[in-house]
Amino acid sequence: MGSTVDDWFVREVLVHEQALMRFLHRNWRDHNEVPDLRQEVYVRVYEAATRRMPDSPKSFLFATARNLLVDRVRHQRIVPITAVGDIEQLHVMQDELEPSRWLGGREALARLARALDRLPDRCREVVWLRRIEDLPQKEIARRLGISEKTVEKHIAKGSRMLANYFHGGSDAGAAPGKTRSVRAWLGQST
Amino acid sequence: MTDNHRQIEHDAALWLARRDAGSWADRQQAALDAWLGENVAHRVAFLRLEAAWEESARLKTFAAGDMGGHISARGEWAHSPYFAPAIGSNRATTRGRHTTLRKHRRWPIFAGIAASLLIAAAIAGGFVWHDYTRVDRAAWETAMGARKVVHLPDGSTATLGSETDLHMAFSLGERDLELTRGEAYFDVAHDAARPFVVHANGYHVIAVGTRFDVRRDAGQLRVVVTRGLVRLQSAKDPAKPPAMLSAGSIATIADDDVAISQVTAGEAREALSWRSGFVVFHRTPLAEAVREFNRYNTRQIVIADSSLDALRVGGNFKLDNSDAFVRLMQAVFPVQAEQRGNHIVLSRRGAAQGAD
Repeated sequence: MGSTVDDWFVREVLVHEQALMRFLHRNWRDHNEVPDLRQEVYVRVYEAATRRMPDSPKSFLFATARNLLVDRVRHQRIVPITAVGDIEQLHVMQDELEPSRWLGGREALARLARALDRLPDRCREVVWLRRIEDLPQKEIARRLGISEKTVEKHIAKGSRMLANYFHGGSDAGAAPGKTRSVRAWLGQST
Repeated sequence: MTDNHRQIEHDAALWLARRDAGSWADRQQAALDAWLGENVAHRVAFLRLEAAWEESARLKTFAAGDMGGHISARGEWAHSPYFAPAIGSNRATTRGRHTTLRKHRRWPIFAGIAASLLIAAAIAGGFVWHDYTRVDRAAWETAMGARKVVHLPDGSTATLGSETDLHMAFSLGERDLELTRGEAYFDVAHDAARPFVVHANGYHVIAVGTRFDVRRDAGQLRVVVTRGLVRLQSAKDPAKPPAMLSAGSIATIADDDVAISQVTAGEAREALSWRSGFVVFHRTPLAEAVREFNRYNTRQIVIADSSLDALRVGGNFKLDNSDAFVRLMQAVFPVQAEQRGNHIVLSRRGAAQGAD
């Protein structure tokens, strides 16, 4: 079903989400805005790929993220324009971290298991029955004595939580590491 | 411009959950396609959720064979042999029926066997049926460089790669296929009562509702599982314990040795990119990359200088465009190419004068 760009996006771009989130958290002070920034980065990368597939997806992803931050800063017209030159240094970050998902199946599996364990009880039960036991939603509803609509809601919620933890390495979107003050100027615009 | 991210992710999750509920009509798919097409933000949000959701099916590895509706307690994964270092991935067939800590881990493979008993029983039943029930037979083949999608009578599909022969014999009790040559990817319609068995190179590859790829090379067999569970059973030696392959497994069988590696679902898909006419290399030895192209093109590439074999190649290539591949090799490596009849001969640049 998936087009070539879809496959490419999943395979070459999403795997860097953890590194991307770290980059955004480090360089943007308002952490609440980070998921929105992430989405905007993905949109730009995907759109670019439909025109021409970038040769180096990872560099392209981080260049896009950097440009987005520059755009945002410029837009706010608060940071002195001379500071924008420094932003070129941001690309140093892009090699800091290889996506751990690629490190091996076991690592990815462990991360999935932890992600599943973070779901609320009912939600975890539903996701377990659906993904591990392959029961249809209808059957899950019958077995747990809840409505099919409720099952669907648990699946929706579970899929979001799994994705945030699995791709990004966090469920709340919180910064995984400590924030470096070196880059704090970028966020001083507020 | 972007503070709608929460809303979009929320909507994407609802779409995913609804589609997951089954009985998904064309009309609903059309509505989903429309939503995805409306805005790239919709598409990326959906792809992101879908990728993690698909990946989560790999957790079956822990529960293979334990389909009794038991939900293991939080953290119980930690006791899985999967997380113990240096354990072969074909030992992955453990599960947790009991929520107590399980320290005795000596017979994980028997879980797999237990899981297989049902299937085995169904196969045995199949033989009885065989004599007096109708058997649907058909065969397909593809020429070099061709790909073909075949719709099987049970609703499964098989995608055939270059130079592939596939024979079908479907009966009431069993769905039998024999791959005598080449490579095929199967998307199997769920039917627990009728095992789906691919025979190839002296092995039975047995699935119940899953997606996997079987490929024959000279003396070698490769099985890639992208969804569900597959049981790999030696046909020659039925006493040999079967290997359970979960999604993300790649099994390579040469002679009688089975090596299984666990990769991400994404990497498994990559191994199957031939289906869309592409091949993906990551630091692949040139000799291997050339073999891949030769599978799909009548004009064969020959490496005249074995010192080139080990050059590492990376990138996405169109399988039917070996010219572009050769051009690129010339551009980045000390390689020169020469046309000789139906062959492209690669030799080391500079050193080739004396050759021939």
